[in-house]
Amino acid sequence: MDDQMCPRCKTTKYRNPSLKLMVNVCGHTICDNCVELLFVRGAGTCPECKTPLRRNQFRVQIFEDSVIEKEVDIRRRVMKDFNKQESDFPTLREYNDYLEDIEHIVYNLTNGVDVEDTRKKIENYRRENKELITRNRQIKSHDMMYLDALLEEEQQITEERKQEYQFLEKQTLNQKKKNKEALLDELIYSDRPADQVIASHVSNQQNQDAPIYKARPKAKKKAIETSSGARLGIGYQDNFLPIPKVEEIPYEYMEVEVYTFGPEAPSSLEKLQSDGYVRHIRPASPSGVGGGYKEHMACQRAVEEAFSGLFFFPFRLKNVDPLGIETS
Amino acid sequence: MARNMLAGDRSKLYENIDFLGEGQFATVYKALDLQHDGKIVAVKKIKLGHRSEAQDGINRTALREIKLLQEIKHENVIGLLDCFGQRSNISLVFDFMETDLEVIIKDSSVVLTPSHIKAYTMMALRGLEYLHANWILHRDMKPNNLLLDENGVLKIGDFGLAKFYGSPNRIYTHQVVTRWYRCPELLFGARIYGTGVDMWAMGCILAELLLRVPFLPGESDLDQLSRIFQTMGTPSEEEWPNMSALADYIEFKKFPGTPLRDIFTAGTDDLLTLLKGLLLMDPCRRCKATEALKMPYFYTKPAPTPGHLLPRPGMVAAAANGKQQPKLGSKRKMADDIGTGSTAKKLVF
Repeated sequence: MDDQMCPRCKTTKYRNPSLKLMVNVCGHTICDNCVELLFVRGAGTCPECKTPLRRNQFRVQIFEDSVIEKEVDIRRRVMKDFNKQESDFPTLREYNDYLEDIEHIVYNLTNGVDVEDTRKKIENYRRENKELITRNRQIKSHDMMYLDALLEEEQQITEERKQEYQFLEKQTLNQKKKNKEALLDELIYSDRPADQVIASHVSNQQNQDAPIYKARPKAKKKAIETSSGARLGIGYQDNFLPIPKVEEIPYEYMEVEVYTFGPEAPSSLEKLQSDGYVRHIRPASPSGVGGGYKEHMACQRAVEEAFSGLFFFPFRLKNVDPLGIETS
Repeated sequence: MARNMLAGDRSKLYENIDFLGEGQFATVYKALDLQHDGKIVAVKKIKLGHRSEAQDGINRTALREIKLLQEIKHENVIGLLDCFGQRSNISLVFDFMETDLEVIIKDSSVVLTPSHIKAYTMMALRGLEYLHANWILHRDMKPNNLLLDENGVLKIGDFGLAKFYGSPNRIYTHQVVTRWYRCPELLFGARIYGTGVDMWAMGCILAELLLRVPFLPGESDLDQLSRIFQTMGTPSEEEWPNMSALADYIEFKKFPGTPLRDIFTAGTDDLLTLLKGLLLMDPCRRCKATEALKMPYFYTKPAPTPGHLLPRPGMVAAAANGKQQPKLGSKRKMADDIGTGSTAKKLVF
């Protein structure tokens, strides 16, 4: 926030704490002093983009990013006309298409895409839907209702809090008064010495102070619906959408099948080692080991190859393909 | 099969319907298999190229592909259905695959959930396990070569670089695997290697599935190595025995490495264990496909998504679904184009 600066007079928020940055339709910012200076006659051009501007269209900048500021402004103006509601459409899909059209228009205007076309589009729409627009302006839109509800709730909560506070205050006052009277009564009528009476009162009072804050039943908070159907609002805590349940097939390791057409070869490395097969294989060179080769590998392959195909007779197995899978 | 079919012109059995793509060595067409009720297949026609190149005979990658694929059959490996010659050309007929994993990863409209990732990893590892059990190294594992059919089944494709492994004296080239998925021993110029090369690439693919961008996009071979060590930490001789015996070994600066947990913040512990296993520096201890498939990662929830529920890239789904109602998750704009395009809009501007 502290580097907010008017691009024209270079005044910053630091030097002028009451600096107010204003924006107009073009989206460029300028401080309120400059506005007063430049637009004495009510109209002028933007010092940055030379767009003709009117003074009464200047607003105080809300968002730091001028693009957002511009978009919000454009959206507000577009929405004034495009105020159809879901009930104006036969299907949800068409309503969604309509919403998307609005987004398109806002986007185009914000980013300067086909501005003329879009303007014409809006103009056409305004002419064609004149009645509907005026009618809908009378009715509060869903969103407005939502905002109203939010405001109402907020108000209700502050009201409640106020009441609670007042109630507590009153209670403590009453209590104090009562205590005081009791103390005086006791001092007047009791036989005990005065300092003892006072001491017992003090301890009593301390005990009483604690439980005064009695929780009153809080007003039930209601959840509010938004236009999208998602429920928001204080006191409404929804879980995430349930994850769609997918049928799960638990994983199982399947032994890989190799058709050798021969007797089973000793395959485990331990067996190759213990039965002495490896003894006849040239040991792997250091560079082989470094590259991931071990003599067991060659040994295993040699043994497997020696055994494979021993039972294979292509002319006897007419309708079996070489991989052992029956063909029809 | 009739005898004349074996000898005669089998190209007549396939009718090209669409051009799919062109690579360095081949052109791929979408075709109808007239022998099998017009089943859709992909025909890969090997380019013979210039006369001088043709002198050497058929391209060796094509030969490799044919020789290897003729002998193997697995759900997660591309099926070579047929192979025929036509004059001096040679064509390979494959299962038709709708898309590949690279498209899925790059399609920003696709959301990959942990169970999707698990399913892809599982299928790729199953295919690799089968290849390795048959003594085949793929040597070009990358998302682009993991093909997906319309039922969401992943198949390993492109066997142009594949080779039998496990020979004690045969020397291989280390110029294999696309650089970003190349393991450190290949980058150090190893001439004899094992299944580790494919497993490392698998680790990079899993990481890419999680990140949606290439995990280690090195700009040169040297840059690739330094990226690997920067991420995983420079290995010591204990961590990777005989590392210095490799042909192109050079000493690297000691990088401490970044904990995987910091890179994959959303990854579960089981996943990171698998990833660590796949990206282990020592190729002898690097996780094997079978070991990987037995890891707790696959057993813990969420279970891998069944194939038909796996996401399909927007374009393909749009083309295939035709009249079907657009999926809820897809973008509205897209849904408009696919489905109810004929619905009259109320607003006419």
